[in-house]
Amino acid sequence: MIENNLFDRLDRHGLVMAIWSPAAFLAAALLHKGVTAGGGAWWIGAGFGVLILGYAGHVIVNAVLKTRFTAGETALGLVTFAVGIVALLVTVLVAPSETVERVVLPVGLGLVSLVVAVIAYLVIAFGPRGAFERFDVIRDNNLRPASRLPHRGGRR
Amino acid sequence: MTPLLLSLLVLVALYGLYFAARTARVGGPPGEFADGGANLPGWAVMFLLPGLAVAGLGVERHFTLVGRFGLQASHVSAGLVLVAIAALLVWNRLWMATRVAGLFTPGEALGRFYDSVALRVVVMGLTVLFALPFAGHILSSVSVLLEAATEGLIPRAAGVWMIAIALAIPAIVGGWRATIMTLAMYSVLLALLMPGLTVLTEITATGPGFPAQSIGVADGILWDRIPGVLQNSAGIGKAMPPGGIFTAAAISSSAVALLGIVFSPAVLYLGQTAPAGRGLGVSTVWLLAGLVAGGFVLGGPVLAARMSDGPLALAGSLFEVEPLAGAGLLLLMMIGGLLAVSFFVTGGSILITRELVLTYLFPKLGARQARLGHRISLGLAFFFVALSASFAPLICAVGASVALPLSVQLLPAVLGLTFLRVISRGGVMAGLSIGCLIVVFTEPLGLILFESLFVELPWGRWPLTIHSAAWGLAFNLAFVLLSSAATLRSPDRFQRDRLHDAVEAALPPRQTGGRGLLWSLMLLWGFLAYGPGAILGNSFFSEPIFTDRSADLGVPSLWVWQILFWLLGVLLVWWFAYRVGLGRTSAERIKPITLGEPEKRRTPDWLAAGLERVVKKAS
Repeated sequence: MIENNLFDRLDRHGLVMAIWSPAAFLAAALLHKGVTAGGGAWWIGAGFGVLILGYAGHVIVNAVLKTRFTAGETALGLVTFAVGIVALLVTVLVAPSETVERVVLPVGLGLVSLVVAVIAYLVIAFGPRGAFERFDVIRDNNLRPASRLPHRGGRR
Repeated sequence: MTPLLLSLLVLVALYGLYFAARTARVGGPPGEFADGGANLPGWAVMFLLPGLAVAGLGVERHFTLVGRFGLQASHVSAGLVLVAIAALLVWNRLWMATRVAGLFTPGEALGRFYDSVALRVVVMGLTVLFALPFAGHILSSVSVLLEAATEGLIPRAAGVWMIAIALAIPAIVGGWRATIMTLAMYSVLLALLMPGLTVLTEITATGPGFPAQSIGVADGILWDRIPGVLQNSAGIGKAMPPGGIFTAAAISSSAVALLGIVFSPAVLYLGQTAPAGRGLGVSTVWLLAGLVAGGFVLGGPVLAARMSDGPLALAGSLFEVEPLAGAGLLLLMMIGGLLAVSFFVTGGSILITRELVLTYLFPKLGARQARLGHRISLGLAFFFVALSASFAPLICAVGASVALPLSVQLLPAVLGLTFLRVISRGGVMAGLSIGCLIVVFTEPLGLILFESLFVELPWGRWPLTIHSAAWGLAFNLAFVLLSSAATLRSPDRFQRDRLHDAVEAALPPRQTGGRGLLWSLMLLWGFLAYGPGAILGNSFFSEPIFTDRSADLGVPSLWVWQILFWLLGVLLVWWFAYRVGLGRTSAERIKPITLGEPEKRRTPDWLAAGLERVVKKAS
């Protein structure tokens, strides 16, 4: 970890923002073109492609600076993803059928591709077992010290 | 489009304010306000250097020229490769000299190295030239575009003041570090918007564009050819050379003028305050020579061909296809200008305050008071640039025309500091004087003044289609070499040798083989890419010299030539950066020295007396 002082953290934040701000603008333009009339699946695919490139850039930043995603970044990512899913559901419920047919499949695939990108990162960064352990809350809910013994299943 | 464009501009302004506030809240030592502790974020410097080179080229100006003159004007953008090589050569050694001898500004470095106050004054003059007329002219141009884009909703003068305030507040709050971090994002935006919008325009456009269609230039202009090596023309304003102004000589001399951005005091200061590391290599090889130069060589003619009716017309058609793309095109045209204004005014103000106010006027100020001084002078600098841009745009334009060519005249002085220890103070001053005079009298500044006051001159701007920067530099170098040869054993040589020895001792061990091959290739590449050999590209691929038949490429031969020599140029920059080792800086082996006598930080008597008189009168 090189985040040993406030300036290092600010520098990293600046770099992440410098990557995401233009990427978000480009992705917004492509996705907007894709979901409006006259657009299509390729535009939506290109928009999600830019988002995945931005994510790859963020992962590279983490690798070069020997840092991880901060809690704020993770929360923002999850909220944005949740908003995307809700927007997709609302579109399915209220939009005209022509729009639903045109938008739902590419946007759904795009959202799935984001999940795949995150899982791929976790697997590459922490290994399959390490990636699973980051979400494995059941193993952590036994507070007795004996639960940490290897033959009782504790592997921490 | 107006609300969307304004929203984007507001977001860009808020971005700067956000980082300025974050930087101020971190609360570093007050002394680091002006230089970021000489340890700016490496990534920010890495991204910013290509953005500054593009700002020197001028995004809107470049597209306009390519739209008017075709591929001959587009050839100038390959000069970005030359900028990358110059940045590598200069920044690496200047960075070392800064750390070795404690020379923290360009004026201090050149002034103390040559032991010349006059040189410090020259550097300060150049700083003002970039901070006021150069930045003012760009600010005025951006505001003209904003006025047209908003259909008069924001008049030019209002635009000037709004942009100046939006750029001033982050600089005043966050200082050098926050400004550089913000401008680095502008650079990334520029680098993404340029290829992104080119591709988007081509996909969504209705008719065929370049290269299927020719670039719509005026009659008599050779859009797909370089009109000769040199033209016997008195210069722009007196006679128009047939076929277009961008001869091989004009292209190479324009590339030389583009080097002025590297030698401008604020850019040299950026190099001095950069951190150690490999960022310089990445920045020059992959971002500047690779991505940006490639983007302009490949995408420049394509986008310019679509802009035959101007950027506003293209933005309008893009807006109908995708509103964000239309607004994004206008943002692309403006963001380079905003970057240049913010950088040169902030850098200029900081340099003037450090060199003049804190060194001579108030040398006893503490760190907190010095920071306040910087903030006040930043406010004043942005005020004056907005004032001059709004009320004297013509004077700004005339002054801006000499900024880059005059900056290039520092080349021998900087080369003396970084590589050639034989270059003496007398040589530098003699060369600088003659070079600057020639630049002024081959640009509107001197021509207008002289012709208004005395008689009509027989030449205009760029006589013989050679840019003023090259005219000045040719005489400058001749004088420098002659004078330096005559003063090889002068007593001031001792201090220069000390610095060079200390810098060379601090350099990491590197491969020395292949230098002859590198410089031979460099000369050959320069001859064919920019020099007289560039006209071979006019027909080299369409009418090959080894056969009577002509080849139907489907693209102009000159474009293929430009792409080929851009790629070879990237290879050369890579060689300089990684094989020669100029792309990496390290402080590991540095042993600091004191150059000459310790600097006397004392207010000159005449200044002290003047200040006292003012204070007494006020009290």
